[in-house]
Amino acid sequence: MSQIKDFSGYAPTWCPGCGDHGIGIAIKSAFVQLGFEPSDVAVVFGIGCSGNMNDVLNAYSIHSLHGRSIPNAIGIKLANHNIPVVVIAGDGDCFGEGGNHFLHACRGNHDITVIVHDNGVYGLTTGQGAPTAQKGYKSKSAPGGTLDLPLNPLTLAISGGATFVAQSFAGDVNHMINMIELAVQHKGFSLVNIMQPCVTFNKINTYQYYLKHVYKLDKEYRCDEIGPAMQKALEMNFEKFPLGIIYKTERASYTDQLPQIKEKTLTNKDRFTDYDILLKDFI
Amino acid sequence: MIDFSLIIGGEAGFGIMTTGAVFSKICSRMGYSLFDYVEYPSLIRGGHNAYKVHVGDTEVHDEKATVDFLVCLNEDTFTKHKSKLSPESVIVFDANEFSIEESYEKVSVPFKQILSESKGQTVMKNTIALGAILATLGTDLVLLNKMIEEQFAKKGGEIIEFNKRFAELGFNHVVQNHSDKIKKILKPLSTETTLVISGNEAFSLGAVIADCRVYVAYPMTPSSTVLTTLAAWQEKNGMIVRHAEDEISVINTAIGSSFAGVRSAVGTSGGGFALMAESVSFAGVTETPMVIFIAQRPGPATGMPTWTEQGDLLFSVHSGHGEFPKIVMAAGDIEEMITLTTEAFDLADIYQLPVIMLSDMLLSESHKTITKKFIDDHILKYRVDRGKIVNRPSEQPYLRYRLTADGISEKLTPGLKGFFYQANSYEHSENGHTIEDAQSRIEQVEKRDRKLKKYLSTNFQSPKIYGNLETAKVVLVSWGTNKGCILHAQKKLQEKNIDTAYMHFTHLYPLSEERIRPLFLQNKRYVLVENNFTAQFGKLLRQETGVDIKEKILRFDGRPITAEEIVKKI
Repeated sequence: MSQIKDFSGYAPTWCPGCGDHGIGIAIKSAFVQLGFEPSDVAVVFGIGCSGNMNDVLNAYSIHSLHGRSIPNAIGIKLANHNIPVVVIAGDGDCFGEGGNHFLHACRGNHDITVIVHDNGVYGLTTGQGAPTAQKGYKSKSAPGGTLDLPLNPLTLAISGGATFVAQSFAGDVNHMINMIELAVQHKGFSLVNIMQPCVTFNKINTYQYYLKHVYKLDKEYRCDEIGPAMQKALEMNFEKFPLGIIYKTERASYTDQLPQIKEKTLTNKDRFTDYDILLKDFI
Repeated sequence: MIDFSLIIGGEAGFGIMTTGAVFSKICSRMGYSLFDYVEYPSLIRGGHNAYKVHVGDTEVHDEKATVDFLVCLNEDTFTKHKSKLSPESVIVFDANEFSIEESYEKVSVPFKQILSESKGQTVMKNTIALGAILATLGTDLVLLNKMIEEQFAKKGGEIIEFNKRFAELGFNHVVQNHSDKIKKILKPLSTETTLVISGNEAFSLGAVIADCRVYVAYPMTPSSTVLTTLAAWQEKNGMIVRHAEDEISVINTAIGSSFAGVRSAVGTSGGGFALMAESVSFAGVTETPMVIFIAQRPGPATGMPTWTEQGDLLFSVHSGHGEFPKIVMAAGDIEEMITLTTEAFDLADIYQLPVIMLSDMLLSESHKTITKKFIDDHILKYRVDRGKIVNRPSEQPYLRYRLTADGISEKLTPGLKGFFYQANSYEHSENGHTIEDAQSRIEQVEKRDRKLKKYLSTNFQSPKIYGNLETAKVVLVSWGTNKGCILHAQKKLQEKNIDTAYMHFTHLYPLSEERIRPLFLQNKRYVLVENNFTAQFGKLLRQETGVDIKEKILRFDGRPITAEEIVKKI
């Protein structure tokens, strides 16, 4: 049985009070509770404050380019579908720079877990507004307030074909652990969108702000129907942030549908040598 | 000596390419060498398609300048290719559709009438034409009938007989009405098994031989048939072929799978590669093996998608931001495409870096004959060399970016219990962690660079020399597909008693100054031949070795260079 310290690398460089500390602990705790050792899991980090978890979290990992962690994760899964693959990215990384990849990973139901640190700003570049910032949010790149509506990660994922869509809050470690565990266990594409304050650059979406706007889904909420799930996810547009599993369904994952890897992973297969069956088409 | 050229032309969308491919296979099965080339516009219907083939009883490498047989499925074919005809050229056409005033060997076949009398569909015009041309060439229908049987095997005897009938009607019409025009030139030669294969198919085959297990691409002419060929094979050979949402996803998927331990490749053309550029740098700094196949077409931007050019050499060499090692290679023909592709996968693994394989539309989409023996021999000889990619590290603690004498560190395939590491796009220390200190930065930059020094002393190949460098008066210098027209030009120049040598570069970047410079010291006429406007290889040669070639033959109109224009300029 592993312990949290097995997953702990270097000391984090996040600001005091940053939500990333809590998210980092939650991810490690979830891995421990799932019975993983650092060598059992592959993690792809995006670029941003969230991605800087790369030196803090031990695993077989890639610290990717900005926006590109999802295709890296898909590639790892194709080569070795037995290893759990987790993406750790920010809102700008995942929904801005890498938005196209996010959409298509949902469609393909690639069996990866994407954990998004959603704080509405680009923290590492000193606080410009991110795609999830509320309309009118003032920042250095939009001094008069952003003209764009905020992107809704939950409706985007559900309509795109994701089979597990959850939301959590950086101020509630136990809730995060629970959501991350369930997401990693889910077979297919899973999103855990984590609402998180940036204590240094975002003076609007503070802990107090989130405590006022988040609420936990009640026990009666059924997450297995797409219509009500979309309704629930749309509450985000009115600054009501539901926490919990918004939507969950079963659909064959991408790698489940590949006959090439029914028996063995691509990494473990024997080399193909029956060239004549390919050559005959050219004669 | 048998040496002839044939063009089949018609409206786009009516099966010209398929008909051409059938003709090529018939010649190949009879034992002839051939090179075919297709001209088509970037659309599906309405334009003009032409399949051009050069057939010989000795090896042919390129297009022939003149046209000996022209099969016109429409009038456009005649008007577009008229300038290359001579009075001896044989024209197969339908005199009911259009008339030809000039004097040629005219073989009129009533395509339309035959179609309506026997209730055939428009595409069967091709089958009639094939029958007619085989009659004109003095051979029989045995091979064509066999190919019809193979092609329609799943559709049953009735369809097979129906198609055969149209071939026979075309054939019989020529025998009965134009017996004086029949040239008895296409008779069976050797029985050695040969294949008719395109450059893209050769790359695909090379990738399979090299045990590539993941291929990712987004369709882009003229690279798309690698994607479709490998996708069609994947359930047979077990490769995973992913058609991703864009080229950025393409290369990053392959970086992921290569990190996880399997040989991975991507394919595209110039525009798609431009989208990949940041990730080429990512593969460079994370030292992730990667083969990148680029089938060039004329740019800039969308350019001329279905035509040919060698305009992306310097872009490939300089692709990706920052300074990191990469290797760039180019094949000159089908055989080289197979052997270099398998080598590219080895080099990518051995040196843990991106290897770019350059092709162009001319090589990618043209077919050439290749003996099965060549492929079989290469398969027997080839050994997958994964260099220092390991399932268990030899030293502990395991350091992914350990400083070594040759700059190559062990790359552990993820999954081994008790270990972990990160492939880091940030500058990193030996253990993969992000660093910003000057010392580690210098160490890692120098470590990565040592890999290229090792490559230059171990795997770099000097240009292949065709002809005699000592006695030659003129030395042609080139790379890639120009090999075909240059070898052809050398033959023609020899007939005029001009002794030439050809320096054919396959390993384009980095170049070994110490091995290249001595090749250029003699007082000879060196002529650079390139299918681009700015003489990119000439610039690269000057940049890397100091050799400056003043005389150049350049072509950049989207068409391949021909042997004739080289002969004229020499």
